[in-house]
Amino acid sequence: MLKSARIGLGIRWYTAKAKRSVLAQDQSKVKEYTPKVTDNHEHRVYVWGFQETGALGLQTSVKKAKERYTEMVHHPTRLQFSNNNEITDVTAGYGFTAYAVQRDDGETLFGSGLNTDSQLGFQVKGNAKDPSNLDVIIYPTAIKLPRRQEETDEDMQVKSMSAGRAHLVVVTKNGTVFTLGNNSYGQCGRSIIEDERYSGSALIHRIPQEDICGKEDEITHVECGQDHTMFLTKNGRIYTCGWGADGQTGQGNYHTAGQITLIGGDIAKEKIVRVTCSSDCVLALNEAGDVFGWGNSEYGQLDDSEHAETQINTPRALKLTKGIGRIKDVAAGGSFCMALTDEGLVYTWGFGILGFGPFVEQTSRPQHLLPPLFGRNDFSNATTVVSIGCGVFHMGAVNSDGDLFMWGKNRFGHLGLGHKKDQFFPFKAAINGKVSKVAFGVDHTIALCKPYF
Amino acid sequence: MVLTKVYDAATVFRHLNGILNVYKPAGMKVKHVRNAILSNICKGLNSLEQREPRELPKSPLLGTGTAGDDVLHKIASNPDLSDHILSAGPHYTPSDVRFSTVAPLGDHTSGVLLFGINKGTGQASCIKGNRPVRVYHITGRMGTATENHLPDTHITVRSNFRHVSAERISGLASSMQASHQRKMYELCGVDLQTQAAYELACKGLIRPADNNHPVIYGINLIHFERPHFTLELHAINETEEYLAALVHDMALELRTVAHCAQIRCVRHSHFDIRDSLLRHGWNLPGIMKNLRRHRDLLREHPQMMHPRQINLQA
Repeated sequence: MLKSARIGLGIRWYTAKAKRSVLAQDQSKVKEYTPKVTDNHEHRVYVWGFQETGALGLQTSVKKAKERYTEMVHHPTRLQFSNNNEITDVTAGYGFTAYAVQRDDGETLFGSGLNTDSQLGFQVKGNAKDPSNLDVIIYPTAIKLPRRQEETDEDMQVKSMSAGRAHLVVVTKNGTVFTLGNNSYGQCGRSIIEDERYSGSALIHRIPQEDICGKEDEITHVECGQDHTMFLTKNGRIYTCGWGADGQTGQGNYHTAGQITLIGGDIAKEKIVRVTCSSDCVLALNEAGDVFGWGNSEYGQLDDSEHAETQINTPRALKLTKGIGRIKDVAAGGSFCMALTDEGLVYTWGFGILGFGPFVEQTSRPQHLLPPLFGRNDFSNATTVVSIGCGVFHMGAVNSDGDLFMWGKNRFGHLGLGHKKDQFFPFKAAINGKVSKVAFGVDHTIALCKPYF
Repeated sequence: MVLTKVYDAATVFRHLNGILNVYKPAGMKVKHVRNAILSNICKGLNSLEQREPRELPKSPLLGTGTAGDDVLHKIASNPDLSDHILSAGPHYTPSDVRFSTVAPLGDHTSGVLLFGINKGTGQASCIKGNRPVRVYHITGRMGTATENHLPDTHITVRSNFRHVSAERISGLASSMQASHQRKMYELCGVDLQTQAAYELACKGLIRPADNNHPVIYGINLIHFERPHFTLELHAINETEEYLAALVHDMALELRTVAHCAQIRCVRHSHFDIRDSLLRHGWNLPGIMKNLRRHRDLLREHPQMMHPRQINLQA
């Protein structure tokens, strides 16, 4: 058959006569495309940032992990572990990550990254080829939580978990608290032992929730600062333990505490629904949308008056956030704080990269970032921010379309923008999925997403 | 305003200026649309009252008092016969009308196509320089992929599409939209670490610095009925091939294959498809009415003519 076709830029033009070949095509011989859908899990995990600690869990070969140019992951990368496992929750500590997993074999908690203080449990060599030093775990491995005889797999599912500098706290469905890792300040909720060796330790401390908050109440959420731990209960009470040198335990003193204690101050009669902390400044939110804070206030995050204390050791209602409306979410970073109001406006204040461009380094009053920065424009005019969060050096916000926007210091590429330069205003991270939860580490970031497919 | 009916071609031609909004049918080249319109304009003008042929200067052939005196004095006028329609041909030919295209459309695309006529060619180049957003309705057909992602070539692959749902397409569309808006900063030619970049970002949408890179500002799913889905898409610097390839790529993301069944441009800046001139209206009265309509539209939105704004309105 005569066919005159011009091939250029992948486009083929036919003369009227040659079009007959199109009409005469035998369509029964066309190949069938049946793509393999390997991943049918509800969630998908993207990771980026500093990889040398193994916190990203992307590497499978120890030899490869030691090669050059593998220390950082600049772009959000899909975690292979999430293709094979149903991940329900993630948390990021200082150089390590923990994953809550639903599996048939009953394991519920996995971790990867630094294990210098046994914050990921006691890990043993699986086979002879493994390195003798298991201080760095490059691929997520199961953390075996000690189990009583009567406890089922369902009981051991993770309800809430959080990680600090070198400790990990997990609350399971049946209300048992497990603490792992460094306890030199009592952050594991047990008494401090002088010269305790944490490396290679098999100790996982187990605390029944009745011992913390009594029989009537239950622990719903746990939040770790750098070296302290806070438990939030259903009735809105907060219990703390750990390092208190900046008052971050909120117990009214600056001591370290190995004993988990109920804290009072201004929150004594409030029903707290959210508590957040990334290093040593704590913000809490009550049901009515008022903000409370304690801990480090060196940058005027909690109090901007002239002779304000730089350390606040008792929970205090913040005057700063009065008048910006009802607040629905808060986040506390290393030197700055964030709040999200009911209208979906993101307020930031404190010191650091606050999202107002390169010239604004410090504001003592909360100011809001303009909605166009979070994807609101003429084409999507109903988009609002639905959740916020921050690490020690960077901040993030997720909008109603499920897009993650990040800004702040770009330590080891943990903003996921593809370079190491700081970002001075919110910028979208390239993630293929609707983001449902983000764990902000100190040098890496983990995003839990719902895939489009 | 009192409208007066005009019968002479010269007056009509004097008012034949401005931007013309034509509905281009699919499968017709822009060149052919242009030729059809130009010849219809000329046909229309030539069928109106034509001016008289030029007068030759009065030069008496013969002096008074001669034999032919009576006859010569009876000739009222002295037309230049070389200027007569019967000798010189029709007064208006396509080359007499200045004509320019604001932005091209591909052969398979239908919808709003803007032309500048006579004094409107200047306005046309102003609008072109502004690079306004065009809005498309693109229909994809799932199940078969073709060689050039358009329906008139060989089918290359077939696939199943039972698993594709409206939520999945719209979820993917919103993620593509956000990613393109991020790309927009990279293409606007501003360093991201500067105050200028922050100020631009606060304004919202911005135009790319050059006119080579396609940027998509909005994608959303407006219709879904297997195997067809229709997307509404707002874009700058796009081409037909790009849009067709986009449908193909989206389908691959959705774990199926598709080709682009139809592309229709529904809006170009403020020029809407509702005001565009359909094929049967491509005659002189229709064109004049359309030009008048869009003269008013340009007066309502003078910013369409202001050159080089970096921020963008929908």
